[in-house]
Amino acid sequence: MSGSRRHDPALVFIIGWLAMLLLTGLSIGSAFLGLGLCAPVIQFGIAATQAAILFVLFMRLKGPPSLKWVFAGSGFFWLLFLFGLSMTDYATRRGWPAAG
Amino acid sequence: MSSDVLRPEIQYATLAQQGDTAQLGMWVFLATETLFFGALLFAYFIYRMSYPHEFAEAAKDAVLWCGSVNIGLLITSSLTMVLAINAAADGRRRALVFWLCATAFLGICFLGVKVWEYRLDYVDHVVPAVNFIVKPGAGSAGELFWVFYFVATGLHAVHLTIGIGLVLYMLLWRVRRGEITPLYYAPLEVVGLYWSFVDTVWLFLFPAIYLAGRS
Repeated sequence: MSGSRRHDPALVFIIGWLAMLLLTGLSIGSAFLGLGLCAPVIQFGIAATQAAILFVLFMRLKGPPSLKWVFAGSGFFWLLFLFGLSMTDYATRRGWPAAG
Repeated sequence: MSSDVLRPEIQYATLAQQGDTAQLGMWVFLATETLFFGALLFAYFIYRMSYPHEFAEAAKDAVLWCGSVNIGLLITSSLTMVLAINAAADGRRRALVFWLCATAFLGICFLGVKVWEYRLDYVDHVVPAVNFIVKPGAGSAGELFWVFYFVATGLHAVHLTIGIGLVLYMLLWRVRRGEITPLYYAPLEVVGLYWSFVDTVWLFLFPAIYLAGRS
């Protein structure tokens, strides 16, 4: 990259790092609270939040070139197809999912 | 490209355009990796929904402290990597070398913990096709959890090993030869993208493996 690009100061990344560690602690804590089916929803929600911090801040998605969003988003776009079309099989099976 | 002849390759108008193209190329690769690990996580989801009791019971044997230490190591390594990129942008060579060394060290520590964890798994008789023993109440489908565990963590470890290799390549070749400068450090940024993506994969593997069935 060219030197004309401005980068975020180290403090911004340190705050992002602390936020991700804090979220990890919350995720571990949620596993021991007896939340039942809510627990994995919370834990994967936290993982998605941490991933968003990594993508936007650490992987500099928020900076130029804005075309990066299209390239980065395409992976998740096709992932939706993969999940959606695969689920058309499982979601229409009798007795699935198994009783938890 | 060397530091004394900083010209873009012939197909680019400027160094900035060359750097942007390199970044977009890595994002295309990461999109394919998203589908690769996404399919793996989807398989996990299907199995977990199909055998909820067996998965919960099997996951209790996953070594939580190893997974927790490793997620801390990887999150911290993403910080050191981005600080290395900042140092490159500012032309602080010593800081660049320090943060790259720290990144490689944290990655190696991750692999060390992982090897120790595999040893614990072996002692605990949870290695499919090697010494797996069905525990009382766990059900034979619990072995599926451990198949996922070894496939997922093994593939992740391969990716991380490649990442460590790329960081060492930057450190011992590109930086040492003065090819990473404030005017052009796109190769380091591209490696940083890869590194943080490998970190992202672990963010999702962690709850899938270590937190399932704890409550």
